[in-house]
Amino acid sequence: MSKHRIMGLFSDFEQAFAAIADIRANKIHGVSVDDVTLKSPIEHPEIEEVLGERPAHVPKFTLMGALFGLTFGFLFLASAQATFLVQPQGGKPVVPLPSNFVLTYELLILFGVAFTVISFFIGAGMGRKRDTLYSEMVSLDQVGVLLEVDESKAQALKDLFKEHKVVEIREEVAR
Amino acid sequence: MSLKNILENWSHYRRGIEQGGHHKYEHMWGMALDLNKCIGCNACSVACYAENNLAVVGHDRFAKNQVMHWLRIERYWDEPDLDKVSDSTSQYQEHGASFLPMMCQQCNAATCEPVCPVAATYHTPDGLNAQVYNRCIGSRYCSNNCPYRLRYFNWFSFYESSWPAPLHLQLNPDLTVRDKGVMEKCTFCVQRIRVAKDKAKMENRKVVDGEFQTSCQQSCPTTAIVFGDMLDPESKVSTLWRTHQVELGKTKQAKQNRELRGYRVFEALNTEPKVMYMERVREV
Amino acid sequence: MQTKDINEQIKWAQINKDVLSSMENPRMAYWVAVAVCVAMIACAAAAVGYVYTTGQGVLDLYWPEMWGLFIATFIFWIGMSHSGTLLSAILHIVHADWRKPIYRFAEAMTTFSLMTAGLFPIIHLGRMWNLYWVLPYVSDRGIWPNFRSPLAWDCFAIFTYLTSSALFLFIGMIPDLAICRDNAKGWRKKLYTVLSLGWAGTDRQWRHFRKTYLLMACFLIPLAVSVHSIVSSDFAMSIMPGWHVTSFPPYFVAGALYSGCAAIITLFIILRYFFRFEEYMTIPILEKTCKLTFVIAMAWSYLNLIEFAATWYGHDAAAKEVLWDKFTGPFSPYFWAMLFFGSVLPFALAFEKLRRHLPTMFVVSLLLNVGMWLERWMIVSPTLSLSYHPFAWKVVWPSMVQWAVVFGSFGWFGLLFLVFVKVFPSVSMYEVKEMVYHRRRAHEEDQAKIFHRRTSDPQPAIDTPSA
Repeated sequence: MSKHRIMGLFSDFEQAFAAIADIRANKIHGVSVDDVTLKSPIEHPEIEEVLGERPAHVPKFTLMGALFGLTFGFLFLASAQATFLVQPQGGKPVVPLPSNFVLTYELLILFGVAFTVISFFIGAGMGRKRDTLYSEMVSLDQVGVLLEVDESKAQALKDLFKEHKVVEIREEVAR
Repeated sequence: MSLKNILENWSHYRRGIEQGGHHKYEHMWGMALDLNKCIGCNACSVACYAENNLAVVGHDRFAKNQVMHWLRIERYWDEPDLDKVSDSTSQYQEHGASFLPMMCQQCNAATCEPVCPVAATYHTPDGLNAQVYNRCIGSRYCSNNCPYRLRYFNWFSFYESSWPAPLHLQLNPDLTVRDKGVMEKCTFCVQRIRVAKDKAKMENRKVVDGEFQTSCQQSCPTTAIVFGDMLDPESKVSTLWRTHQVELGKTKQAKQNRELRGYRVFEALNTEPKVMYMERVREV
Repeated sequence: MQTKDINEQIKWAQINKDVLSSMENPRMAYWVAVAVCVAMIACAAAAVGYVYTTGQGVLDLYWPEMWGLFIATFIFWIGMSHSGTLLSAILHIVHADWRKPIYRFAEAMTTFSLMTAGLFPIIHLGRMWNLYWVLPYVSDRGIWPNFRSPLAWDCFAIFTYLTSSALFLFIGMIPDLAICRDNAKGWRKKLYTVLSLGWAGTDRQWRHFRKTYLLMACFLIPLAVSVHSIVSSDFAMSIMPGWHVTSFPPYFVAGALYSGCAAIITLFIILRYFFRFEEYMTIPILEKTCKLTFVIAMAWSYLNLIEFAATWYGHDAAAKEVLWDKFTGPFSPYFWAMLFFGSVLPFALAFEKLRRHLPTMFVVSLLLNVGMWLERWMIVSPTLSLSYHPFAWKVVWPSMVQWAVVFGSFGWFGLLFLVFVKVFPSVSMYEVKEMVYHRRRAHEEDQAKIFHRRTSDPQPAIDTPSA
């Protein structure tokens, strides 16, 4: 049985929200809310109410990056200074803490930001090819609800979308 | 490996000047200058130009202060009451000038050293404040942070204009001619120190006090400048410092005794300069 | 009188259309501005070329005043870079949504003024070609830069700040780049396809986006504060009278925010006028920015007074001498001008009538920045010309070569900004949509209650009128 990918475009976020709420309430047997992908022109944090809490691991990587910057930064500076003994200066110690704190602070932020951005690119799947079912209306003002379902469920899903005043339904057979 | 190095030597690497510092000093070259003897003749400054290949910048640039005199004689008319007899209308007094020869004070806690972004200036085991011309990128922060204003910048390439042939033949071959964009300053005639140290090493002995002189000291007609190793307790300069009760690490001198004329410039800034001046005494 | 920050009934298609059309069909005025900027850059480039063929001496810098206008202008541009990212991040964290229509160009301003500022320490070096020695690279000779030097800190701080704020600008722009991609043709389509990194607005992307953006904002606030503190360390860490001031880091940060806010007002008015962004860059938003600027101006004035008072009561003779020289000496006209522009003129921002009058605000914001530039000059030069050693006191007027480079830096900034507004959307489309959407929803009572909730939160009790 072939899989179908169906995207309903809604002109209003409330209707898309209601449609997903119906899916969550198991209106169509065998279609799980976990298969739903929402595509929206703006950020809708409230969608988690019906979509469930889905993970985003960015903060962990941020913490890792910051800790890495902290330890690497200090050790890098201190070890560089400790191998550069020919140049003691101004009566300061070989490893001066005030300046190393300042620089470690900068490196902490640098690596924190770098890890955050990299984990964002990986976590959000950036840089991949866009879905073939992408609609340019999504970047304007419509909200898309994308599901991959069995052929047998396709009609029921489309009916559900229509119930919620869907503007357009796009469909393709998944490979 | 580096980590091991840090952990093993941590306490050593944390020693600042208050804890004795990182160096084991081989020498600590210092100076004592008697202002009573200074007559402001500028011979030292001229000798310095000759010895250290200092560029002559010309009248216009001198007027703009784009000058490089490692040793300058400062004139002050700070005692106007000495000029009672003068009836001249000049802006300067006829009598009562005082002179202050200023060369790099070779501070032990130099403020110019830690601010150089590329570590072009540092403290040598000879107690000298060294300037590495090749490493200098010309950020000029060292000069801005020198309270004595004793660092000079090469604003132009002077090597062609300053010594037109055949004057280039009089250049001292023992040290370089600096190009534009680097900072330079008094080195206590480091080339002479180097020669003396090498000679002593070859003869397997210590450098003897008075074995060599800096060019300013050599040319001073009144022997106002005394130069030597302050680690050697018998050297002339150590004796003078001791006599006038000026010590490294001490920022104020007891002045009750009028015989004690020694002071260091801006001692209160804690820069630990190694040039002691002996105050001028006037007969009033 | 308009009181709402934004017209809540505006159509989303209208937002897209307005912003996208601002990126197309440059008018004659645009090309004239580009030509002027290029001419200014050429002027600076010629001056820099002249300096490098002859020597730094042609700048009429001298012993002991060795920094002059270049470093003053460096601080000016670094300061200018502060408000964009810093304000954007702070306002994002406190959910002040009026930042949304104006933060994009403010962040661009940050990035470009950093790119301008970064040139000055390079230009002012005696041997610019050896600049890379400041970088901490591993060399065979075991030579490192001097990590004790505040200039090396500058190098780290500016690199971190430039990287982070450029990334912050870019990440925040990705959804907008996707909009551009969907509407563009030709080379623009290719460019935006690459830059938008396949953004499709999926819930997964938004979820990661939200967290990333918030985390970056959290990093950028302390970063921005630290960057200007480090720049102030160039002076505060030194031993010179008038520089060795404990209150310098907050003073610099306040000054930075101040000049940045004034620059935001200037650019706000320019963009509003030329791109006809009346719907987005509204008078109430301008008013909010003006109030913020006024508060910062007062903080700056206070810190100024603190500095004077601390110097006066500190009884350090040299520091007092320098301060007194600023008040009465050769620099006094500029010093008093700085105090007038910095502390008196901002009172214009306190009056509603003036705040709502665009031409007045345009002139005032420009003059505030003149004051802030003078402030930086008054920090750098008087201390150098008139410090500890009386023998070294001398004041020489900076040569035209210096002024040309300072002048040209404005052209460089202007050119970068002009290119930006035609290649990237200078108003954040998706965030204006969010702003409109959320403000409209906030009026609907029931919606407001279930707003921003998660599945795991307890269900709200929606009041139903009892029968």
